[in-house]
Amino acid sequence: MDLFDRLKELREKGLDEIDKAKNEEKLNDVRVKLTGRKSELTTILHSMKDIDPSDRREVGQRVNKLRDLFNAKLDDAKNEIVAALVEEQLAKEKIDVTLPGREMHLGTKHPINIILDDLEKYFIGMGYKVVQGPEIETDHYCFEMMNLPKDHPARDMQETFYIDSEDLLRSQTSGDQARVLEKHDFAKGPLKMVGPGKVYRRDDDDATHSHQFMQMEGLVVDKNITMGDLKGTLELMAKHIFGQDRETRLRPSYFPFTEPSVEMDVSCFNCNGKGCSICKYTGWIEVLGAGMVHPNVLENAGVDANVYGGFAFGVGLDRFAILKYGIDDIRDFYTNDVRFLEQFSKEER
Amino acid sequence: MLVSYSWLKDFIDLDQDPKDLAEKITRTGIEVAGVKHPEEGMKQLVVGHIIDCEPIAGTHLNLTHVDVGEDEPHQIVCGAPNVAAGEDVVVALPGARIAGNVKIKKSKLRGNESNGMICGLQEIGFPDNLVPEKYAKGIYVFPEDADVKPGQSAFAPLGMDDYIFDFDITPNRADTLSMEGSAYEVGAITDTPVKVEDITLKEDGPDWTKDFAVEVDPELAPKFYLRKISNVKIGDSPLWLQRRLWNAGIRPINNVVDVTNYIMLLTGQPMHSYDARAFKTNKLVVRKAEKNEKLTLLNNKKVDLDPNDIVITNGEEVVMMAGVMGGLNSEIEADTTDVLLESAIFDSTLIRKAALRHANRTEASSRYEKGVNWDATTRALDMAAMLLRNDASGKINEGVITGSSEKRQPVQIKTTISYINKVLGTDISSTEIAAIFSRLNFKAEINNDELIVDVPARRWDVAIPADLVEEVGRLYGYDNIKSTQPVLAETHGGYSKKEEAIRRIKNIVQGQGLIEAISYSLTSLEKAIGFSQEPKKPVEVQMPLNSNRSTLRQNLMTGLVDAASYNMARKQNQLAIFEQGRVYDFENNTYNEHEHLAALYSGNVYFENWQNNNEKIDFFYVKGQLTNLFLALGINTDDVEYKAEVIMYMHPTRTAGIYIKNKYVGMIGMLDRPVTQSNKAMKDSEIYGYELNLDVIIPLILNPHTTAQTAPKFPAVERDLSILVDQEVTNQAVEDVIKENGGKYLHDLRIIDVYRGSHIAEDKKSFAYRLTFLNENDTLTDTIVNEAITSIDSSLEKQLKAEIR
Ligand SMILES: [Zn+2]
Repeated sequence: MDLFDRLKELREKGLDEIDKAKNEEKLNDVRVKLTGRKSELTTILHSMKDIDPSDRREVGQRVNKLRDLFNAKLDDAKNEIVAALVEEQLAKEKIDVTLPGREMHLGTKHPINIILDDLEKYFIGMGYKVVQGPEIETDHYCFEMMNLPKDHPARDMQETFYIDSEDLLRSQTSGDQARVLEKHDFAKGPLKMVGPGKVYRRDDDDATHSHQFMQMEGLVVDKNITMGDLKGTLELMAKHIFGQDRETRLRPSYFPFTEPSVEMDVSCFNCNGKGCSICKYTGWIEVLGAGMVHPNVLENAGVDANVYGGFAFGVGLDRFAILKYGIDDIRDFYTNDVRFLEQFSKEER
Repeated sequence: MLVSYSWLKDFIDLDQDPKDLAEKITRTGIEVAGVKHPEEGMKQLVVGHIIDCEPIAGTHLNLTHVDVGEDEPHQIVCGAPNVAAGEDVVVALPGARIAGNVKIKKSKLRGNESNGMICGLQEIGFPDNLVPEKYAKGIYVFPEDADVKPGQSAFAPLGMDDYIFDFDITPNRADTLSMEGSAYEVGAITDTPVKVEDITLKEDGPDWTKDFAVEVDPELAPKFYLRKISNVKIGDSPLWLQRRLWNAGIRPINNVVDVTNYIMLLTGQPMHSYDARAFKTNKLVVRKAEKNEKLTLLNNKKVDLDPNDIVITNGEEVVMMAGVMGGLNSEIEADTTDVLLESAIFDSTLIRKAALRHANRTEASSRYEKGVNWDATTRALDMAAMLLRNDASGKINEGVITGSSEKRQPVQIKTTISYINKVLGTDISSTEIAAIFSRLNFKAEINNDELIVDVPARRWDVAIPADLVEEVGRLYGYDNIKSTQPVLAETHGGYSKKEEAIRRIKNIVQGQGLIEAISYSLTSLEKAIGFSQEPKKPVEVQMPLNSNRSTLRQNLMTGLVDAASYNMARKQNQLAIFEQGRVYDFENNTYNEHEHLAALYSGNVYFENWQNNNEKIDFFYVKGQLTNLFLALGINTDDVEYKAEVIMYMHPTRTAGIYIKNKYVGMIGMLDRPVTQSNKAMKDSEIYGYELNLDVIIPLILNPHTTAQTAPKFPAVERDLSILVDQEVTNQAVEDVIKENGGKYLHDLRIIDVYRGSHIAEDKKSFAYRLTFLNENDTLTDTIVNEAITSIDSSLEKQLKAEIR
């Protein structure tokens, strides 16, 4: 048979075999058979010396060309098979992405602490130190130092848990003011502090009263602190917590440890000042008490009230949280129902 | 204090809308908690004159014809027991609205047409406690002096057209617990002059002072004055006076008692009237009560007097608890003719304590405890005497008996205009400041910057320059003060190191999926001292609200268990909660507070899922969380040790004490079955938790500092080791031996299997460990690793009688 015809035949058969090989194993067999060391193409190349010299060049070229063709076709076929396998695998691995994932509880901060952390960070940014005092406080720091001598009628306003004649569960965080004032070295600069913490009063628990709650005390003392500074500080804080569009007002009030004393109201979130049941039809909601530090408080702590003065404020964190989140029962903070607590996870700051 | 707008007009010219005025008062002086307009919501209530009144046979009803100012009288059926011809009454015409939004229609009763309704005071909005006793169960009848005409609106004669301000008075502003004080305040706020009535008394009875003796301890009553009014005729007060009492929230009683109440409302000075028959001894003594003395008060309360109560006696028996309430034995009665009138000042603290002690706070006692005007005592007495002459046609006996008459130094305050402006942050001129003090009716003298103010006795709250700052500030208007920010030397804000560490810890556990709880610090004694190895001396409050809130907690776990019980009773069985807060004890003769952290877990790691792929919470899950917490805090796990321990309320064989560097820091374990099983909601659950004393841990984690190291360049070699040991040998014991003998290249050790069961002897268990060896500077040779393993094996065999498998 003519060698060229043989090559033509090989080409047709070879391509046919490649086409028929449907898996990698068979394809490999075909590769060995068509292009391997013992393949006919190799044999032909190895027996070149037996070929008519005038044909040698032509045969050599054709054989190489055919081998290249086989290799290309084999590669294509292999790629196809691999692709099909991948396809098959993926089909097997297909999942319903709409099925839910495995979930666990989200960690959350307690709503009161969300407010507290927010306020603390706000005041730290303004240069305030966060100071913590004891909850088991002495009558001396809680009352006497704060200008509430024994038998002061204002002590009636706060029923206190006494532990013994001198020690009590603090009914206000104001004692922290006295402690810090006593220690502060004004030669080293002004005093700016906030003092958060738990306080206790002898109130029976109901929707609006709690024998335990959280307060935050603020105190700034230096040589030139004004009531305007107090007003500006409180307004910014109220807007930070309750929103920029809230209006505020100060009205005269009374605390033994400040003079003048004021309370701050913000315009009612619910009715925007028109009057509703939440604001008792006044349009205003009371949010905190404040004032200029009473000279007696400064003097009691050994600070010269003729030189130094300042302002103080106290906020009820429970009250802030109640107002901000629209909570209608203060006991919800302390029963720790996870369904109640979890809703605040989105409030994290 | 309820302040009547129409009464205020006696003192000041007011034409402002009452609601606007209330807002202004709130911003400048006293918080007005509300403004009440009694007639609001009601209409078509008129005065009617009953022409005739006949009983309807077989009923308790009467058929009346009432002149209501129309051409024809109205026929009205009325069931009130006190209805009678000739009375002037309140008639709700058909179409009227009365209290509770009730509409009155024409109706037929027992076949008789009824064109309206004759009203009792309750039906037109009067609270029960203001209705005079004789009208409590019937219709209201206008007194003869009322001067009312049929058909006129009933609102004005009853004072219902008034506006009543509810002054929410802070303790320092007790000066406004009177109409005169309120008038001065409102006058200052509105910049309107105040007219206060000055009276000249006409005595028209014989001198009585020679026949009567008064003994007063001036410590108890620094001021004490007494007058006698004779020949009074007890009856109803005139309508104008009753109206004022109503609108001040006080029930009219009779023309003597009403006068004392009225004068108290007017001047703020509490007054008392005695039936002179209680003083047959012609003697009155003010002293402290003696032991075993008793008194029945006007409200029929029988009181065992305390040696610290001030009492009024007739020399023989107690007739009044001074400053608080009179005794029944000296009460003004219908046949009283001679009255002793007392105007006095008593020690405020003793009065407050007496009222508190006997739970008998009154209008008088609350005024005494907050202070009264030292200038008003005799004036009030004279005004009351005059009124008794007018209203009860008594004769004022000549002379006042003065039991005590202490003086108070008038208050003068010196300060400067610049001080006031410096504190307020304002630039108010001295003319403006002078104007403010003139509005307040304070005498102020200004010389350049110097300011001298004479404070009237009626404003005893004003004593120091800061008080003047407040007066100027509020009347200048807090609204007018410019908001500024403090300008001062830079300060560095921030948390204390300890607080910072606490926040770090809380963030980590919150990141582990725990929900933060806050529990009450006060709990029961039993719970307070639980969850500890050895309870410390508990801190109990003196007057607990109840036994469940009597003692300060020594652990946080108890609060979390309460929370678990609450949640599980609501089918929330999958819990992961924590609390960070303080615990309290009394040790080393001092009260101590420690920061703790506790966590509680129950149920599964994940919520129920369709893959049924879940893990039950157990000791080791919780321990793993704790290990992660320690790692995140930079605590070397080699320094942490867990020792099986017995802790109150915790499972005796599933609980460990936790030690870091040999210091006890807390515990971890399962709640003891008796704790969970006694609770219906928790009884089928295994609940785990831990509690840590952060006061011990925080010093160990302060100043975390990482010096970066490159990741190892040489490969590590892993070897597994499987051993058989006696049941009582702990993992810790094995690990200790391995670490001690593993050589310097033993890098990591991890237990990968624990087995006890049928394949090995009953008293044995098998442990499998994965050991990782690493030389940071060179490739490890097998020889070195094998040497280490050999040393470990032989030590395990020797020390723990382990069998290497
Ligand atoms: Zn509102």
